[in-house]
This record gives sequence, C-alpha cells and structure tokens, in this order.
Amino acid sequence: MREPLQAATRINLEKVDVLLVDDSLPSLNLMAQVLLGFGIKNLTRAESAKAAQAMLRERTFDLVISATNMAGVDGYELVKWQRRGALEANRYLPVILVSGHTPPSQVFKGRDAGANFTIAKPIAPKIVLERILWAAKEDRQFIECDSYLGPDRRFKNDGPPPGAKGRRREDPPEALRPPGASVPAEADDEKVRS
Amino acid sequence: MSTVRKFRAPNRLSMLVRANGGVMAKDALAAADAALEPLRAESLAVLDAALAEIEARFGRPAAATRASAAYQDLYTLALRIIDVSGFLPGSCVDQAAVSFCALVDNCAEAGAWRWDAVDVHINALRLLRTTDLSPDQRRAVIDGLNKVSQRRIGDA
Repeated sequence: MREPLQAATRINLEKVDVLLVDDSLPSLNLMAQVLLGFGIKNLTRAESAKAAQAMLRERTFDLVISATNMAGVDGYELVKWQRRGALEANRYLPVILVSGHTPPSQVFKGRDAGANFTIAKPIAPKIVLERILWAAKEDRQFIECDSYLGPDRRFKNDGPPPGAKGRRREDPPEALRPPGASVPAEADDEKVRS
Repeated sequence: MSTVRKFRAPNRLSMLVRANGGVMAKDALAAADAALEPLRAESLAVLDAALAEIEARFGRPAAATRASAAYQDLYTLALRIIDVSGFLPGSCVDQAAVSFCALVDNCAEAGAWRWDAVDVHINALRLLRTTDLSPDQRRAVIDGLNKVSQRRIGDA
C-alpha cells in the first residue's frame, strides 16, 4: 500500500546520488531546483539519454529521474537499456519517469520499459517527493524474462484478468479474489441476456 | 516458453533516506517552492516564447507555409509549454497544451494536418494565458479542446 505524503514524515536525501535526465533545459532546471530544495546534494544532470548512458556505465547512482519525451533515445528506451546494459550496480536502481504527454502508441512501451513510477509534467514538488519516498519503500520484486526486466508491474494482486486462469503460482483461485477484481466473461454475458 | 526470474533487488535509496538527520516533508516542500521561485520569470518567458513560435510557424500568419511543417516540431513546442506551466496553477494552460500534443499526435498518425483544430488550440492557449477567466470558463475551454483533439479525420 502506497501512502500519501505526510507533512511530518522525516526524509534524508543528503547522501542520495541522483541522475537527472531531460533534454529540455527549462524542465531540467526546474526539476533540479526542486531536488536541491529537498536537500539533495549529489545531483548529476544529463541533457540527453546518450549522456546518461555514458554516466550509468561509469559510476553508481541511487536514483534516476528521467524525462520520457526526448529526441533520439527517449526515457523509455533509456530505462530498458539501463536494466540490462548499465553498470551492474545501476541496473536495479529505482527509476522515476516524468512525462509531458504520452501518445497512445507509447503506452505499452511505457508499461514495458521497467520504470518504478511515472509522473506527469508540469512537475509538482509534492508528487515528486512522494514518488521518491515510494521508490525508497519499494516492496515489489523484480521480474526478469526475455521481454521485461523491472519491478513487478502488478501493484496489487487481484488476480489475473477476467476469464483468465492466471499464469502465476500465487494467483488466487477465482473464488478467493476480491469482489469486483475479476468477473468471468460468462457472468457478463448472462447479465446482458437477462 | 521463456524463463521468469523473480528476485529482490538491493535498494540503496531505501537505506539512505532513513539516515539520521534530514528534514520533515513539509519543510522539504517549502524549500523546493522557494528554490523554484527564482525561475518563475524565466519560465514564463519560455512559455510565451514557445506560444509565439507556435503562432508564427503554425498559426494563421503562416498559412502559406505551414503545410510543410514537421509534426514533431509542433509537438516539441507544446511539450515545452507543459514543462513550464506549473507556474500558472489553475490556468489550465498545461491541459490545453496536453490536448495540443494529443491533436498533433493524431495528425501525425493520420498523416494530415487539421488546421482548424490547430488554430483553435492556439487561440485557446492565448486566451487561457492572457484573459481573466473563471474556473468554470477555463474548464469549458478544456472540455471543448479535448473534444476537438480527440476527433480524428474521418469522424462524423
């Protein structure tokens, strides 16, 4: 369960090494100011995904915050690369993507990139801090298979989609799933017919 | 069938944020707001410059030349408006720019510009940026823009 940010929550970001990536300079500057305001002392900026890749090959970070909409290699491709091609110590870092607009054609690319969270621009400091805390408290396991490497994309286990048996050992039987989590297709059909 | 591996990854961030010292979230947020303030004028100038460039290259004044313009150029300019529009809370400028991005993406997918819809978005952005409107009026503008941008060529 991810909790909303509480005013009295204590947070220490002084020693957190952050890589911030955005090819829009105004946006890069705004996010950098927000992070400095949070008390982050070790902030590295990259003005392109290519520059970020070079840094992720050379030294370790604790958190990556990247824009999605970038010319050339975009933020989704950067995360996908990072999960397999970066320095070993950087492969499983929490990643927060920041997006101005996500075209429908990019939705699956975003889902499959392997980031922990995506937030919308314009940036709101409260949302940024909340997502950093969520990333710090991340309790999802990593999933690695041919097509994906990143945090489990299921935020809660309500079981597989309606009508599906499920592919995981821990998928609950239909009878034990939370109310409304999955309605068998036949039940829908009956409702329409009645 | 591919093999799936599940594992717990080390999370250094988790250990670092719990270190002694630090600040309360409310103080961190106040400090972030204060740190942003010096960028206000510069950011609004970026927004106005992007809007002016959109009008000059993609608006009615460019009617004779805009047909050859690149979809990506307009998309990037609209994104630039979104980037810095946090300094205009409640103005709905950000939402108008998001609708503009959706429109340009639809045009790019269809391979054809919809200049009437582009003009509507430019006018709406200018209106939202410069005119004193009530929240309801701003909401109505955005609702209208979303209908326009989601309409695809060929829709009735």
